[in-house]
Amino acid sequence: MPATPFMTQPPAIPKPSEPPLVEMPARKRPVVGIGGAGGGQSGQYPIIEAIKRGETPEPRRHESVMSAKHILDIQNFQLWYGHSKALHGVTLPIADGKITSIIGPSGCGKSTLLRSVNRLNDLVDGVRTAGSISLKGEDIYARGVDVISLRKRLGMVFQKPNPFPMSIFENVVYALRISGERKRRVLEEACEKALRQAALWDEVKDRLKSSAMGLSGGQQQRLCIARSIVCEPEVLLLDEPCSALDPIATLRIEELILEIGQRYTVLIVTHNMQQAARVSDYTAFMYLGRLVEYGRTADIFQLPRLRETEDYVTGRFG
Amino acid sequence: MRSIAEIRRRSISTMMFVLCAAGAALIVSLLLLVSGYLVWIGISSLSWEFLTAVPTGDVSNPGGMRHAIDGTIILVALASAVGVPVGVLAGVYLSEYSSEHVATGTLRFVADVLTGVPSIVVGILGYELVVVPVSRMTQSAVSFSGYAGAAALAFIMIPIVARTTEEMLRLVPRTYREGSLALGATRAQTIFRVVLPGAFGGIATGVMLAMGRIAGETAPLLFTALGSRLLTHNPAEPFPSLTLQIYTYATGPYPEQKRLAWAGLLVLLALLFVVNLSIRIVASRHARTRVGA
Amino acid sequence: MTTGSATTVMPPTSGTSRGSKGSGASSVQGGWRLGDAVLGLACRGSAALLALMLIALIGVLLHSAWPAIKQFGPGFLVSSEWRANEIERPLRDAAGAVVIRDGEVVTETLAPAFGALPVIWGTAVSSLIALVVAVPISLGAAIFLVRVAPKLRIAGAASFLIEFLAAVPSLAFGVWALFVLAPFFQEHIGPWLLRTFGEVHALRWMFYEKVTVAGRTIERPIALTGRDLLSGSLILAIMILPIITSVSRDVLRTVPRAQIEGTLALGATWWQSCMAMLRYGRSGLLGAIMLGLARAAGETMAVTMVIGNNNQISPSPFAPAQTMASVLANEFGEATEGLHRAALLYIALILLAMSLVFNVIARRLVVGRAARSPGS
Repeated sequence: MPATPFMTQPPAIPKPSEPPLVEMPARKRPVVGIGGAGGGQSGQYPIIEAIKRGETPEPRRHESVMSAKHILDIQNFQLWYGHSKALHGVTLPIADGKITSIIGPSGCGKSTLLRSVNRLNDLVDGVRTAGSISLKGEDIYARGVDVISLRKRLGMVFQKPNPFPMSIFENVVYALRISGERKRRVLEEACEKALRQAALWDEVKDRLKSSAMGLSGGQQQRLCIARSIVCEPEVLLLDEPCSALDPIATLRIEELILEIGQRYTVLIVTHNMQQAARVSDYTAFMYLGRLVEYGRTADIFQLPRLRETEDYVTGRFG
Repeated sequence: MRSIAEIRRRSISTMMFVLCAAGAALIVSLLLLVSGYLVWIGISSLSWEFLTAVPTGDVSNPGGMRHAIDGTIILVALASAVGVPVGVLAGVYLSEYSSEHVATGTLRFVADVLTGVPSIVVGILGYELVVVPVSRMTQSAVSFSGYAGAAALAFIMIPIVARTTEEMLRLVPRTYREGSLALGATRAQTIFRVVLPGAFGGIATGVMLAMGRIAGETAPLLFTALGSRLLTHNPAEPFPSLTLQIYTYATGPYPEQKRLAWAGLLVLLALLFVVNLSIRIVASRHARTRVGA
Repeated sequence: MTTGSATTVMPPTSGTSRGSKGSGASSVQGGWRLGDAVLGLACRGSAALLALMLIALIGVLLHSAWPAIKQFGPGFLVSSEWRANEIERPLRDAAGAVVIRDGEVVTETLAPAFGALPVIWGTAVSSLIALVVAVPISLGAAIFLVRVAPKLRIAGAASFLIEFLAAVPSLAFGVWALFVLAPFFQEHIGPWLLRTFGEVHALRWMFYEKVTVAGRTIERPIALTGRDLLSGSLILAIMILPIITSVSRDVLRTVPRAQIEGTLALGATWWQSCMAMLRYGRSGLLGAIMLGLARAAGETMAVTMVIGNNNQISPSPFAPAQTMASVLANEFGEATEGLHRAALLYIALILLAMSLVFNVIARRLVVGRAARSPGS
């Protein structure tokens, strides 16, 4: 199988055939203190090495997360873009009412997995899937599933804020409008409630009629969050919601995620490990389309079972 | 349970999907209808004689359109001989001399305005600007001529070529120019050796498109070239063109001539089809060399 | 192997290699300095020619139309008389009876008169009907091309067909309309319409016209020949379909993916997400429609062949009419008399001004949209 493109991996992996003369002493040194340089020596990361060879090793799933009550159950989920396989048998149950984050280097399939949950990948040409994802026990990839109703049960916020070119009010109530809700009072109440939950109400209550395009990036992203919770979704999907924002706006969104996490189940994809550590209850580490380790955030960051995970979350690898 | 509103919005969506597909299908079928009809009737009227003979003057056996085919080729060649260099140079100015931005901004606007001039107005301008003064100078009655026709066609061609050239040149990365200038090349060297070759495929496409466009024009020739039933290669005389001859025959009363009009249209369309197809091929090859190289 | 990043790395490399070829000619550097000057001159000259062309266009038309402008002024726009030659006719009194004096019929002479209202009416109505027919079809087709065709892998073929349709000369549509559309209408649709709606009182204005003959106003049926305002409008609609479709397709393509996914993620149906696309691209789409309008207003040959060429204002779509472009094509060649030609040039000037305004607005809308959209 040809190597999957994986461009952001800085240290070059020595080819096995090369005589490892120079590398020899490095291998004997203890892992801690190597820094990023020790990267991908063979034998150091058996699971990563196996994944790079195209295998799918059994991931470590901690009992703590497997025993929780699950709302979303991803079972042996596989996905192909045309001929290239992007997800290799991911099994990842998501705990009800908690915040779960998925971390991993770019290209590890975490966004693809997130977009599979509300079937947005259906839009992409040549996508095939296998395995199952079920929401409250119903398989969302079963034949005859109504994708539109499914998407109404799942809120989603994208990498870049994508407000629609209309007023702030119309943006927030869009999901209600398209379902045919016309009553002014209902719309206004829903709008205020969603904006309050998104911590945006005080900033925009005087200019609900003005265009959403005039808001700052962080405000736009909070507007998008308000827009996606106006129908009270069962799960809120956040796809790197802070990647286009400055640090202060990021901080506000993180506070908001923690607050929203008390009401909703949140699944957040991020490449920012500190963010995952700050906001989530559970963390999954993915690599090249495979799940590597999955457990309570505290465990993943402080007591990971795999050396790969430890070195990734401490920034020594990846 | 689905509410009425839910069922309503879904059925609207399905209905609109069908309507959109129907819209696309309608456009494609219109093309097939028009061109199918044309091929159907045109092919039965097309003959070797059509391509080689000249009009006989006999309405029941009207001969061929050799004169008109030659005429169109000569008119397009004459117009391109002026229009392509002027258009490309103007395009180079709009793109490469952008430091003179007040002038380029205005001239870009002017070129846009010129591409929107209705072709019949261009024909009238040709009459007033070329035919009338020449008649006055030569003291002849009215001197319609191939030159006047070619001038009108060039008038249409120049702004089109200028704008496409400019747009294509803008696609050439700035690093090309900087790379060349950094090596000590002059501006002319940079433009001729780096910028123009880099955009060659795109400019060629634009030029061919413009040539196809003027080959199919009738209105600008009505009062300039006027048309002729004689085989002439002298553009100083009233000059035949395929489109003028088709128009004359199609609006005339004689059935045999109408058949010739269909055949003429078929030849014209076949010509344009070949041009368009080769544009596609050139454009895709161009895209490959630019990206893949 | 790799996607995206490799292609952005390549061009500078090949650019450098081309650049080095350029420096290889440094032995003739002196010649190239001169070359710079010559090229600068040629480019500036060619560009100046563009300006000269526009000035010549407006100047010549103004100059040649001046007699008519001086004589008729702005009233030209609202006058509906069109007499190319002097007419002598019997004088009538208020009751409509012919005046007879000393046993002889008294005649009056009407001087040539020109007014542009009928052709402005014809252009406006035919363009509007064409837009009403063409815009929904075009927008639907554009949505299909952007949202559906790529999945069916027919986007390339469909786009090629539509672009070819745009390249078909208007003469071909004219001949087709003259020989196929008009006879079909005359033989089948016209009689059917007349049978079905001819006696409906509310639709009488469509099938009957009032004419004043010999001082009396009578109502007579309009001959449904298929060479009328409606046929002209329909052929115009066919001709502006491709331009509106291809420009709208380009506009819709610039709608960011995140907008479409954003609506779908909120549970929008296919059509609701399409509506969001249309809303996002609305100014560009308006530009596409304006371009279509500009083309319809200036279109000559096809319209001339089927619109019936009659300088009149009739409410009926089945009456022959005349547009600004068609009156020019029909009468300019025969207009030997000075005022007649000046009047035609006056019309040409109005037509020019109108299409320029439409074109400029359209371009601003389309280009303005593209410039604002992120990523371009």
